[in-house]
Amino acid sequence: MSALPRDVFIDCVYRAALEDPNIIFISADFGAKALDQFRENIPDQFVHIGISEQNMIDFAAGLSQNGKNVFVYAMAPFVTLRCFEQIKVTLASMKLPVTILGVGAGYSYDDAGPTHYATEDLSSMRSLGGIEIFSPSDTSAVEYAAKLCVEKPKLRYVRLDRKHLPDIYSGSSDEALTKGIGCVRKGKEIAVLSNGYMIPKVIESTAFMEVSPSIYDVFQMKPMSANSFQESLKDYDVLVTVEEHFLTGGLGSAVAELVSDNRLNKPLLRIGIEDEYILNNGGRDHIHELAKIDPQSIANKIKRYVS
Amino acid sequence: MSKYEELINRSKWLRNEVFEMVVRQGKGHIPSSFSCVEIIVALFYGKLLKHSSSNPNDPNRDRIFISKGHASPVLYPVLADRGYFSKKELGKFTGKDNLLRFYADPSIPGIEAITGSLGHGFGIAAGHSFVSKKENRDFNSFVLLGDGECYEGSNWETAMFASHHKLDNLIVIVDRNKLCILDETENCVRLGSLENKFQAFDFDTVSVDAHSYEEVVPALESAVSNKNGRPKAIIAESVKGKGISFMEGRHEWHNRMPNLDQVNQARNELQLNCIER
Repeated sequence: MSALPRDVFIDCVYRAALEDPNIIFISADFGAKALDQFRENIPDQFVHIGISEQNMIDFAAGLSQNGKNVFVYAMAPFVTLRCFEQIKVTLASMKLPVTILGVGAGYSYDDAGPTHYATEDLSSMRSLGGIEIFSPSDTSAVEYAAKLCVEKPKLRYVRLDRKHLPDIYSGSSDEALTKGIGCVRKGKEIAVLSNGYMIPKVIESTAFMEVSPSIYDVFQMKPMSANSFQESLKDYDVLVTVEEHFLTGGLGSAVAELVSDNRLNKPLLRIGIEDEYILNNGGRDHIHELAKIDPQSIANKIKRYVS
Repeated sequence: MSKYEELINRSKWLRNEVFEMVVRQGKGHIPSSFSCVEIIVALFYGKLLKHSSSNPNDPNRDRIFISKGHASPVLYPVLADRGYFSKKELGKFTGKDNLLRFYADPSIPGIEAITGSLGHGFGIAAGHSFVSKKENRDFNSFVLLGDGECYEGSNWETAMFASHHKLDNLIVIVDRNKLCILDETENCVRLGSLENKFQAFDFDTVSVDAHSYEEVVPALESAVSNKNGRPKAIIAESVKGKGISFMEGRHEWHNRMPNLDQVNQARNELQLNCIER
């Protein structure tokens, strides 16, 4: 079994931090296996800030102003929403190159309920000026994002899944990843755009389809390159987005904006969480069924849209 | 004659400068600026701050954060006087494309961080003080908090963190003018003893008369010199609008502009020293 996304990311930061004392990693009482060796071996570059995300962001701003390459780390809903205004005021408006690392994309914490769901993190972070957003779908993309944050610090939000991710890009060059969009499966007529945990779910959904769509992984959500999109998507008749996030402001919205602003003139179906929080048990797949973003629902919605 | 004669004269100068700058544009918060004049003057003219406009990015400079950003105008005449930018800029406060903004931000020389939204300066300052401590850089961070700002919970997250990390180079000054926008703080939501509250967070804490250099200067000197592993809090008991009789202690003047008669009255009053010698 491959390493968890958080361990892949943190391990990459750790290896760089061993050589670079300016790298500081701050956690709001949230762990990872890879963080244990970081804390053990370079304790001066690790700060346990306590369960206080607001202070974490403002404190990180102060470190960043002194030339530190700062990573702030917590569960995705807390590190984005609990301290949203701190991110806006001290990081975004002062253009400070801090990496916000959130674990628990979408319904990752399936048993925990809406408090722990990150289903509006992307729309919130997208609304900020001057932030880059990554939602990696495999280990190579996680490593790519981590390397970028280590080597070219900038204000970024990296949304990681809690669970293991399948392999998509191993063997690909970093250059292929700079496009921010990758082809996962080659089909025709329909292009389904998704990212993170939903990529394998979209692949599963094709078993319920009569058509054979292409599947694209949009792991860089901001900025999205209009050129890369146009190049990748020009031959399709219909575009579909699938996301584990509310329909307002997430991947579907981002693609709709890009399609509209660049006159791509293609019908676009957005599949995501509708306007309701789900309070239930039964695991992530069951929550997906309730939210109608499970593979069968994805296939049904696409079928209805194209017929 | 007081040994603080020069600072007392500076107080008069600064209130006049701020008043004219704000009234000329009809924008800015006079009372919130006037309650902290002596604190700012003591820091900049009382040999307490290590800083120089000839090397504004000196990594070892002391940092000052006016976290109650609505008092930003109180810093501008001081920074101009200390050479951070031309005094002509004061006449163009809030003017189109000009340097000095309603709320300060780091595009203005001498300003460390953006303020305006409350409850951020303390945490940012803690970041600076943390670096100073870890790297033996020997600089202090001064944070001016409004007492109304102390309602923001983020401050108390920072307070807990600062004492845990023994940030004795972090000096918080609370401008305790007892007013927020709509009412007195004690009628709004009781702040009670901020001295006790900071003490409970393991700060070295002292209350002073914010308008007495006899109290403000020694408190700041002691906060700067006492490196005992504890962050410092100075509760500066102040009068909002200090120096203009009709504004003093009146919450409704928070962001109101005086009319012509009131401007004349204020100008007359500001020719006098409003603080005791």
